[in-house]
Amino acid sequence: MRPTDNINRLIKKLKLKASASLDRRVHNDIDIALAESEKTESAHSKPNIWRIVMKNPVVKIAVAAAVVLVCLAGLHLWTGTKSGVALADVLAKVEQVQAFMYKMKTVMTGAMPGIPSMNREMDCTITTSNTYGTRWDITMTDPNGHGDKITEQFYVLPNRKVQIQIMPEQKKYMQMEFDGNCSTKQSSDDMLAKMKKQNNDPREMIKQIMNCKYTDLGRSEIDGIKVEGFRMTDPAFGGGVMEDANIVLWVDAEKWLPVRMEMDFKMGKQIQISSVIYDCQWDVSVDANEFEPIIPEGFTSIKAPSSTEDGAIEGLKSFADILGHYPKKLNIMDLAQELAAFLQEFAATDINTGEALQLSEKIKAAFKLKDEEELKELDKLPEEEKIKKIMEMLPEEEKVKINKIMEKKKIMEKIGDMTRQIQSLGRFYMTLVQEKKEPAYYGESVTPADTDKVLLRWKTSDSEYRVIFGDLHAETVTPEKLAELEATLPK
Amino acid sequence: MLEDKLLVWKFNRGSKDALRHIYEKYKDDLVTLAAALLTDVSSAEDVVHDVFVCFIRHSEKFRLTGTLKGYLATCVANNARNRNKARQKHTSYGLDEADVVSANSNSPNATAIFGEELRQLGLALAQLPYEQREVLILHLYSGMRFRAIAGQQGVSINTVQGRYRYAVDKLRSMLNGEVRK
Repeated sequence: MRPTDNINRLIKKLKLKASASLDRRVHNDIDIALAESEKTESAHSKPNIWRIVMKNPVVKIAVAAAVVLVCLAGLHLWTGTKSGVALADVLAKVEQVQAFMYKMKTVMTGAMPGIPSMNREMDCTITTSNTYGTRWDITMTDPNGHGDKITEQFYVLPNRKVQIQIMPEQKKYMQMEFDGNCSTKQSSDDMLAKMKKQNNDPREMIKQIMNCKYTDLGRSEIDGIKVEGFRMTDPAFGGGVMEDANIVLWVDAEKWLPVRMEMDFKMGKQIQISSVIYDCQWDVSVDANEFEPIIPEGFTSIKAPSSTEDGAIEGLKSFADILGHYPKKLNIMDLAQELAAFLQEFAATDINTGEALQLSEKIKAAFKLKDEEELKELDKLPEEEKIKKIMEMLPEEEKVKINKIMEKKKIMEKIGDMTRQIQSLGRFYMTLVQEKKEPAYYGESVTPADTDKVLLRWKTSDSEYRVIFGDLHAETVTPEKLAELEATLPK
Repeated sequence: MLEDKLLVWKFNRGSKDALRHIYEKYKDDLVTLAAALLTDVSSAEDVVHDVFVCFIRHSEKFRLTGTLKGYLATCVANNARNRNKARQKHTSYGLDEADVVSANSNSPNATAIFGEELRQLGLALAQLPYEQREVLILHLYSGMRFRAIAGQQGVSINTVQGRYRYAVDKLRSMLNGEVRK
């Protein structure tokens, strides 16, 4: 070893800890300095300067999508392992059907940190063919708008082993291949079976009800049809993801085919979801063209969330990069809440409205702009050019403000990217829970610096567990080794 | 690192938590750096305290251009350098680089601050002239480039590289058993 290498190694080993006395002195100074600044802080209300110079839809998407879409991602996962009896005839009848259509209306209400309140509606028409696949035509409340409606088409195409989502308003589409995109390396057939479960296929719902405890509600009548009802409130429904679930299935008493299904449940106590399946048409004729997604020219592709180990690691890394620590918990609602709370705090510390308006006026004056139209023209300039022009014209004080905005924008763009990654993480963990793979997560005590501590683990077979460590490398270990590793974790 | 940018962003807006987080994140590294430069823990903690007091006062105007860790390390190095100059003036030591012995190499701290394992290194560092020690520590411990150190010390990059070579040679010979007791 060269002498310099040796000295380098020794110097890198130097390590002192700040004393408690220094800690007290610095924290005390922080308290004093900031108490003084708080006294002089204005009571102006909060944001928003964004729209003036750098309007960025990513900001809104980040906040809304983090919560709403993550919730929706978890809404349609159904699973179960036991076998039932009383609804077996209905299932047998439904499974003989080659193609069917039904409508579904979902209303989601509630409030969470980061989003004052939500009342989101989703109307879907679903067509399923054993030959071609499933198509969803969706109209829903824009999670980023003020009650605006947006549309989506969603296709699950088993023959092509692909799932495609088209978002006309955003001019985007998302494509997810089935092969190699599953948590535990199942075959693509397994993945297809899972896709059925994830997309509210009535056949899977009936199986799910059969797998749980349910009660016979007796006879009734819906739209002139004599029906028999079945109610299910088993907490096991949905793999434990749904809380206070109340599911009622009404079946045509003569044809033994479903007529209506009502679902009410909560997610994370804050979000109430009510969903009704109605207008069911069994054995309809369908055309292959109906299952051919048309992606208009100019639509851009966006990356799909993936419920894989790699996707989960990407999500953990992304979360830690932005927030400086791993999520406390990985179930969908806690994850969404933690992210939303962070975003709320982040958004709340913006330049206040008064300053924003003043800055707007100064920008207008600087460019001799007379009205909003001209300001909009400025807004159309490429980002860098726009910023450069503004920076050239403004005095130093305003430059500081613009710099702050730019800094925030960069962070928000990262958060926008993070939304998909967090969805991947949440979905991956939820899949592990639902598949009963004994997942355990230690994000509250393990940090990115803990290279040899178990962050997340799950069972892959009777003799093996998969472990993601604090530094995000993954290994397969024996149960004995896992016990040894977990024994080192803080109690 | 993005987390640092976020912390600075919050810090600019008066977040106490962000400031505390910054302090907690870097305090040990900064105390170690200052102690290695001044070979005295008590002065090192004073330096880190001064740096954070100054940092707090400039919360609104502070702009991060490089890394936060690099910025704080530079502040510590500047403060330690000033402190060392004042100490040299006070004790009227000569300024001939080749002959200067650290002002506080007599301090019992100098040999023991980094624990028994690194005792010899602590002692050897304490015997290096301040400028050489600064170059060595900033380059090897803080990962600072010679050009940046030259800018800080107000000398040419050749001088900095020369100081680094001298420091390495002296340390090597001292660590090979020639440490003066």
